[in-house]
Amino acid sequence: MSNAMNFAFMREEPAPPNGRRVAIIGAGPSGLAAAGYLGCLGYQVEVYDKLPKPGGLMLFGIPGHRIPADRIQRGVFTLSRKFGVNFHNKTKICCSAPLHEEEGDHFSCDIRGLGELVEDHDAVIICSGAWKSRKLGIPGEQLKGVYSGLEFLFPIRAVKYATSNVSVPPVEGRTVVVIGAGHSAMDVAHSAKALGAKRVVMVYRRTKKEAPAGSYEVDRLIDAGCEWLERRTPLRIVADETGQHVAAMEMADANTGETEVLPADVIVTSIGEIPTPPFQKELGLENVRKGEVRWLHMTSIENVFVAGDVLTGPSKIGKAVYSGLRAARSLTNWLDLKAQHRENEYNYDADVITRPGAPSEQR
Amino acid sequence: MSECHGRGKTLHIDYSKCIGCETCEAVCGFLYDTPRIAMARTNDGQMIPIYCQHCEHAHCMKVCNRGALMRDRDGAVVLQPMLCRGCETRNCVIACPYAAFFATDRGVAVRKCDLCAGRRAVGLGPACAEMCPCGAIRFADRDELDELETEASREARDRVLAHIRPKK
Repeated sequence: MSNAMNFAFMREEPAPPNGRRVAIIGAGPSGLAAAGYLGCLGYQVEVYDKLPKPGGLMLFGIPGHRIPADRIQRGVFTLSRKFGVNFHNKTKICCSAPLHEEEGDHFSCDIRGLGELVEDHDAVIICSGAWKSRKLGIPGEQLKGVYSGLEFLFPIRAVKYATSNVSVPPVEGRTVVVIGAGHSAMDVAHSAKALGAKRVVMVYRRTKKEAPAGSYEVDRLIDAGCEWLERRTPLRIVADETGQHVAAMEMADANTGETEVLPADVIVTSIGEIPTPPFQKELGLENVRKGEVRWLHMTSIENVFVAGDVLTGPSKIGKAVYSGLRAARSLTNWLDLKAQHRENEYNYDADVITRPGAPSEQR
Repeated sequence: MSECHGRGKTLHIDYSKCIGCETCEAVCGFLYDTPRIAMARTNDGQMIPIYCQHCEHAHCMKVCNRGALMRDRDGAVVLQPMLCRGCETRNCVIACPYAAFFATDRGVAVRKCDLCAGRRAVGLGPACAEMCPCGAIRFADRDELDELETEASREARDRVLAHIRPKK
């Protein structure tokens, strides 16, 4: 067995070409799973991604010691060589916000419109993920030295695909404060330690037992030499004498009811991301989320489907993969019935029923 | 019943490589509606996949009164639903040391991993192993299991077993 994440796991060889072209926006877990499924069925698949390499956050977010990069790359290689999937990297499809607003946008050199893709393909699946970081909403968040989890993690991996405008956050010999206790907060803390931070302090508003990443992961961090402060709520980020750069963080200690000040050179707020879909309103994504659509995973634009974190909000690789596969299957169903003018025979209820124990469609 | 060649094949999860991403469960659920590999959360918050190890001396096969569990030619312990259907003892669920039988609420009383029997029949491997992002799941010859173990994998597996079989 080859050591690859085999997105084309449905078949050994692709089925004969069926003459249909599908565009997939986003080459993360859901986009690649959808590409693999459709590639197996004989579709001509075109995958667009803003980053220089396919893989999404499996490659650019999650550290390499957790997911081996070459395993993802070999899977992508199989898709492209054996299943004829074309990858269009560094290409951003019409954004809901101006370019250079999300992490990773600075890699894109080509911008194409969604409308253009819809016209050129039989169908489109949007799997663009959740890239915008949630903010704490406290004073001082705009100061230099304050990063979101993605802003911090992304360049560590991206710098390998060297472009001059990406640099690893300077943490060597400094004090790094990480806010949050999810998996990406854990990854930030480990990475900061690996990059030579003098002191890494984790700050979480609840207790270790409630940490989304689990107390086992927190204990591992403590073993690795990080400090853990629980039941602390950040109140304000304090600037240094220049007024530009972070110097400390003020936080409320729920254990004592007092306010304390924690000196910091770098603060990383790792409290989650929010979806960044192109044309949120036009696609009627709210209705897709609620299930108020006539076709599973199809948006209010005909032939345009949606899957993964962009639909559900940040979740896990497994959920994204499942969503991508379901959207791809729904899409083939749609095109097959449409070709025979039998769209009205589609049984939506039968398709959405998820039996007990099955991974849920939504978080 | 055909004889299995050699010691057969099985699934092996290196829990020290697993990041709890749920891809195995998701892919299994996509193929079979209800997954046969299932995520559990340990007391200390780790997400771990629970799976059938197709034991060489399988308790489930011994306790099944109907002979519904058989060893197939690759060494997988597979459930024959037509023999299982109607049984409500759930002896197999109780007997499995890895908690890898899943009770259902209708039809055949249990579901379990068959190492993707339908896929193996056409030359493919189990889908969870194919899609695991970390390479933590292997479709392995039973004879090579020892080579797959490392100090870290043993330690991680002990942690998982402590969750499945807590000390009284």
